Amino acid sequence: MTTLAPRTADPASNRVRGARRRVDGVGALTGVLWAACAVFVALPIAALIVLAGDGRRIHTLLQGDVLEAALNSVVSATASAFFAVVLGTTFALLLDRTDLPGRGGLRLLALTPLLMPPFVGAIAWLGIAGPTSPVNLWWREAFGAPLWSIYGADGVILLLTVHSYPIVMLVVSAALRRIPSDLEHAARISGAGPLRTVVAVTLPLLRPALLSSFILVAVGNLADFGIPSIIGLPERYVTLATLVYRYLQSGTVEDPLGIVATIGVVVLLVALAGLVVDAVVGRGGHELDTSAVVVERISLGRARTSLGAAMWILVLLITVLPLVALLTQTLLRAPGVPLAWENLTLDHLITALGSQTALTGAANSLMLAGLAAVVCGVLGLGIGVVTARTTGRARRGLAATATLPQAIPGIVIAVAWLILAPRLGLFNTPWLILAAYITSFLALVVQSVAAPLSATPSSAEEAARVAGASRLRALIDISCRMALPAALSGAVLVAVTAVRELTLSVLLLSPGSQTLGVAIFNFQQAGAFSTASAWSLIVAVVGIGFIGLATRRQA
Amino acid sequence: MHTSRTTLALAALGAAAVTLAGCAGTSGDTESASSDAASETTTLTVYTSEPQEKIDEIVAAFGEDHPNVDVEVFRAGTGDLTTRVATERTAGEIQADVFLAADAATFEDYAAEGLLVEYTPADADALLTDVVDPEGYYVGTRIIPTVIAYNTSVIDAPPESWQELADPAYADQLVMPNPDVSGAAAYNAAVWSTTPELGDEWLAALAENNPVIADSNGPTSQAIATGAQPVGVVVDYLVRELAAQGSPIDVSYPSEGVPYVSQPAGIFADTDNEEAAKAFVDFLVSERGQQLAVEQSYLPVRSDVGTPEGAPTMDEIAILSPDLETVQNAQDAAVETFRDLFL
Repeated sequence: MTTLAPRTADPASNRVRGARRRVDGVGALTGVLWAACAVFVALPIAALIVLAGDGRRIHTLLQGDVLEAALNSVVSATASAFFAVVLGTTFALLLDRTDLPGRGGLRLLALTPLLMPPFVGAIAWLGIAGPTSPVNLWWREAFGAPLWSIYGADGVILLLTVHSYPIVMLVVSAALRRIPSDLEHAARISGAGPLRTVVAVTLPLLRPALLSSFILVAVGNLADFGIPSIIGLPERYVTLATLVYRYLQSGTVEDPLGIVATIGVVVLLVALAGLVVDAVVGRGGHELDTSAVVVERISLGRARTSLGAAMWILVLLITVLPLVALLTQTLLRAPGVPLAWENLTLDHLITALGSQTALTGAANSLMLAGLAAVVCGVLGLGIGVVTARTTGRARRGLAATATLPQAIPGIVIAVAWLILAPRLGLFNTPWLILAAYITSFLALVVQSVAAPLSATPSSAEEAARVAGASRLRALIDISCRMALPAALSGAVLVAVTAVRELTLSVLLLSPGSQTLGVAIFNFQQAGAFSTASAWSLIVAVVGIGFIGLATRRQA
Repeated sequence: MHTSRTTLALAALGAAAVTLAGCAGTSGDTESASSDAASETTTLTVYTSEPQEKIDEIVAAFGEDHPNVDVEVFRAGTGDLTTRVATERTAGEIQADVFLAADAATFEDYAAEGLLVEYTPADADALLTDVVDPEGYYVGTRIIPTVIAYNTSVIDAPPESWQELADPAYADQLVMPNPDVSGAAAYNAAVWSTTPELGDEWLAALAENNPVIADSNGPTSQAIATGAQPVGVVVDYLVRELAAQGSPIDVSYPSEGVPYVSQPAGIFADTDNEEAAKAFVDFLVSERGQQLAVEQSYLPVRSDVGTPEGAPTMDEIAILSPDLETVQNAQDAAVETFRDLFL
């Protein structure tokens, strides 16, 4: 508190400083950051709204195929989000609050679908439950028809669920840590059984976390392109994301950009409505002091072994089986030959590794992801620090603007940049993809910087000010340095996300700027399934290995 | 890093002002062609629907003779490519130098709009007369017939005609590519609908069998080979390739005749590298280029390079080769009919 003394001691000089604020270093920095936000966030959204704005194309939204796709999108996004919340919450409760055997290993395995890009998961699951997967072939041999084919609505929902429940798990686990277990303990003492305790005490306290993870997942799944495209289209299950792609790629409609922009604005409004609901309901949530009491784990008693076994089997099914399927698809000599030792070959893997397209795609992805990480890291550090350490409407607006794209489905961001591309001279250049990456991923860094920084006191910075440093100097020397590790880990997250991204780049690609995700997608589309599988396997294994190493180092 | 970001930011801001001021009509051509000043190497951009591995081999072979030409390939379905070209025309100029994609009708359209360079390749005399455009705007580079393919471990007596595919016995067993995406499929739809003994009636009967519509020929051939859909309509070279790898798949040449596309190559008038583009087109139909085509399981467009193993020669199969203009005029309506019936 003593650090506040210089200010209060001399109100006059404080006012002078306040008046100077507009021109000092911090003001200039804020201006530059605002300019960056204007370019990477406001500009694309404005372009989208301007193109969609005249309302002439509203009638096209009422066309049969758009309505059908919208319905499919909403159903698959909300259904998968619902199942993801159920599955993710169950996992989180079992792992954080019970004495389930092997919790550490289970947690790591259960989180792995997050590390596998959804379209890679889709390619992998074709080998498990596609029409000619071993199970279906065997079933058809025995009963005349396949057991269950993953193609279609049910498959899309299943895969979206598998790829989004880990997010729910993370959100709910974090929330659980804030719920003191002494409340549950009290319920147990009063005679409630474990299930009753969870339903009556824990779940109500988790409600805000459940709702916000539901909305987060639903908005994310609304925009996914890879899963509905690989799993949905063969059964003609069209979602807005795949419809937008078709409109843009196969020239079946007049003025595709205008129509797609209109669809984009509608999706944007739906996503924003979700956020508003989240904010309103979240405000009504319970805030509890974190308890210092060691978490008392609920004993599962006799069910411990069987529940543990069930969860191990389920998690292994979800995580290991896809990798096995990818490996089989990669090694099998030719489609249609039976799975036997003499039919396995390394030829496809060798061909895939020598594919110039995939290598160029990988190089492009690495470059774009690296650049996106650097730009997002620098901008995010600046925005996060300015937001956390200075006051005023301009700064709050800055944070809100920078994190807004999180609520915007990737496909909408891609369309927005597609509209801007010719005017900015970015058409047919890889920089278009870079710009879209920055729009999409900037929030990752801003959030990882701003949240922890807001929680640390600003006394060191004030000390620097007392010692005569300018506001900008104090900000850079003290706050930026403190926030640097957070910005770095945010930037790494951006790089990892961007390097195997598909939804944005599939719409923005151009000659010479193909990404790894698009290369794999194209192999799949062109029928080179073994090559697609080989590269999917590589992406999955490298991704899991990378995160595995990172978490091991932390632990 | 910082300077480039600032430059980009400034440029974008300027453009933002323009956009937000509501300046709608002017689509300023800010496209700056990447300068080749760095060395005397020229960059040739090829848009093609060839499968990626095949075009990579072609580019590599071409590069041996022309080390100073750096070929950049953009591969996609013919539908994707024509959309891209259309977008580029509105945005400024066409980025591709050479266009190598499924069907002659697309090239006829481009030629009519004055988008193509008039060029007849050096070896034109050695080629099948059918594949060389009489006006000299494009030249076919391989013969790609569309056939019936079937899974040999599921089907004992394969269908021998297009008519037979409409037999209810094949309900839910069929797969075929989507004409919205595949140029060859769009051409086929037009040929079928203009062939008297088939026509729209046959298409309607075929639709009754509820075939799976795969995106393009690649997934179609996979579905047949794996037995997911044991009978299908697909280009013949894919069947030969899969059979060579060991897949249980074989072709049946329908008795009414097979439609074929010739994967023509043409040069866009917007090109800055006309010489390199001509050299590339020459290479495609040269003896060397055609030998490579045969190695890649294609039927060649010249008779001095043999045929792929297991492939018939052109005079051994019945060909459906209707008047190009008729097909071209029928194509849009045929694709529309197909979409109504099947999608």
